[in-house]
Amino acid sequence: MTEVSTDTPMIRVSAVDKYFGSLHVLKDINLEIPRGQVVVVLGPSGSGKSTLCRVLNRLETIDSGAVAVDGVPLPEEGRALAELRADVGMVFQQFNLFAHKSIIDNVTLGPIKVRKLGKDEAREEGMRLLRRVGIADQAEKYPAQLSGGQQQRAAIARALAMRPKVMLFDEPTSALDPEMVNEVLEVMAGLADEGMTMLVVSHEMGFARRAAHRVLFMADGEVVEDSSPETFFDSPGSERAKDFLGKILTH
Amino acid sequence: MQVLIDNYHLYLRGLGTTLQICLYAGLLTLVVGTFIAGCRVAPLTPLRAFGTAWVTVFRNCPLAVVLFFMAFGIPALGINASYFVFGTIGLALYTSAFVCEAIRSGINAVSPGQAEAARSVGLGFGQTLRLVILPQAVRSIIPPLGSVMIAMIKNSAIAGAFGIGGDLYAVGIRQSSAQGEEIIPVLLGVALGYLIITIPAGLLLGYVERKVAIAR
Amino acid sequence: MRNGKLTAAAIAASTGLLLSACGSGSSSEEGFSAPVAENPSFEQGTTMAEYADSGEITIGTKKDQPLFGLENLNGEMQGFDVAIGEIIAGKLGIPADKINWKETPSKNRELYIEQGKVDMVVATYTINDKRAERVTFAGPYYEAGQDLMVKQSNDSITGPESLRDSEAKVCSARGSTPSERIREYIDPSRLVLFDTYSKCADALRNGQAQAVTTDNSILMGLVSENENQFKVVGNTFSEEPYGIGITKGDTKFCQFINDSLRTAAENGTYQEAWNSSAGKVSEKTPELPELQSCG
Repeated sequence: MTEVSTDTPMIRVSAVDKYFGSLHVLKDINLEIPRGQVVVVLGPSGSGKSTLCRVLNRLETIDSGAVAVDGVPLPEEGRALAELRADVGMVFQQFNLFAHKSIIDNVTLGPIKVRKLGKDEAREEGMRLLRRVGIADQAEKYPAQLSGGQQQRAAIARALAMRPKVMLFDEPTSALDPEMVNEVLEVMAGLADEGMTMLVVSHEMGFARRAAHRVLFMADGEVVEDSSPETFFDSPGSERAKDFLGKILTH
Repeated sequence: MQVLIDNYHLYLRGLGTTLQICLYAGLLTLVVGTFIAGCRVAPLTPLRAFGTAWVTVFRNCPLAVVLFFMAFGIPALGINASYFVFGTIGLALYTSAFVCEAIRSGINAVSPGQAEAARSVGLGFGQTLRLVILPQAVRSIIPPLGSVMIAMIKNSAIAGAFGIGGDLYAVGIRQSSAQGEEIIPVLLGVALGYLIITIPAGLLLGYVERKVAIAR
Repeated sequence: MRNGKLTAAAIAASTGLLLSACGSGSSSEEGFSAPVAENPSFEQGTTMAEYADSGEITIGTKKDQPLFGLENLNGEMQGFDVAIGEIIAGKLGIPADKINWKETPSKNRELYIEQGKVDMVVATYTINDKRAERVTFAGPYYEAGQDLMVKQSNDSITGPESLRDSEAKVCSARGSTPSERIREYIDPSRLVLFDTYSKCADALRNGQAQAVTTDNSILMGLVSENENQFKVVGNTFSEEPYGIGITKGDTKFCQFINDSLRTAAENGTYQEAWNSSAGKVSEKTPELPELQSCG
């Protein structure tokens, strides 16, 4: 199902290993994500899926192997890494909005300080993004005054404000009350439709079926299955995937 | 108590000198302490090692020893300045270890997700610290930092003993020892002088604390 | 006894050679020894008779004051105050090895005399009226005074007046009388204060101060401790007559001490005492000051 492309893949992960102490959390991971592809990563807790996501913008370091974004190997800590991270949007499970800044300031901080945009220009663009995620009327409020769903949408707007080449979502709906999950997923699906390259760690099957081009199933630090959503959900190849699906479907 | 009234100008001058020491040392120690705190949470191992070494040295060395090195060690290297400069710098360096630890504990009180979010939008380490972490850490930094600052004001008496003279405590020593005044009223005057500095300082801190508590 | 074997040997030698009180002690630098009277007789009931009969005396002195009262690392007592004490003890027929030296810090001097912890105090003890209310002073045996200590190479500072129009910083001990007196000559901003004079010596050495001021007796001690680095200017600007403190009202003992000092000055023992101690760093040997009446 991967499109054949002469372009360099947006993300290339080669032979990556990572340990937390003696725990082998990523085992020889190899992965290419072409431009425009939406990948959903599933797996039981402790399978390494969040770690994989965080490795892609080096919030976690790796012990061996290589990660490249848009053909550029991830640099060591420093200015070059900061520049690269600016091109990789990230959305966290706990939103992690800057608690001391208003929503609009959350969105414009990166563009102003990293992209060196003018304040007015950044604000205009920020408001456009807030309108797009449907919370323009909350722009002047502080994060703590917003509901979880609104906060997560603000976090997505903050990531988009950097005009990223790729978006990483680390369990974006896991901390939300059920009634707020959809508003966030809709925004994400909209992004997918526009052709954003995305890696989403999530158990939201509806989203995976509707928006994903590809599903990765991880367990014990390994990619166990790599297939289309239809194949994965309808006829998973491995016992562990079947077992996992059985659990989350009855849940 | 007559001694206080007769010599109020001496006490005033002493108060002025003590205030000067505290003001300069206070500003310097905030800058140095913040920088060292930055080092201690930096992603680079040499910086962290430097920060840890700094804190270990200055927190575990008696102030008198630090001041001794400033007053006698530095001139022995051929670098001469007034004892006011040496004493103020010595006091600032010593206090910076405690300032650093107050700031670091405040930084640690900010959820690590804040730093991750800042880094993920491409902010560098310094920007992350300055724009995201420290503004949020301030609330938990202020109370311990206040204690550190008030301790520093009182420690200025020790700095005064290293050649500066003329500070509040030195005025007391001079009057009781050299001029043979009764020691109790003289020292009460000295205590009063320190309270004149420390109580408003405490009130100011309380005000700042409330101010930053509202701002979120 | 705390005197070393050398002194004991010197005493033995000198008493062998020179009988009674009119001889002089050994003139070797370390080994000043006062002549010891043989079987002196005193009027019954006087303090002198009491000490002479017991063959012992307790003298209060400093033990940390170089050139005046210092206990060296071997436990031997050295200095001008110590020598003066030995001269007086000798007149009582008490040899140096029968003197008990009791360390007497400045603030305890009157108290120790009043409580009888010491028989007399020879401890850089400036005579003044306030102290004279509690003790009787014999002497003075030396006229000390506030002076200036400078680097040996310094020729521009010659006395307090030369400080007035200079930029020189002057170091003294905080809360000391000399630190007050020097304010008449310099602006307080040029006054550097530490808790001890040894810190002042360090400040002088590394150029943070250009002069140290206090009593010349203390300055001479600092000079002797820092060989060939400093000198005392030798232009005193205060009068600090050092006396010998004894029990209040013991006029006869006071007169005896004064007589002993006078004799020592006449026969050269006083000068030898000086030369063996403070004289090592001082160019001129002092005259015995005019003695006060014992009241």
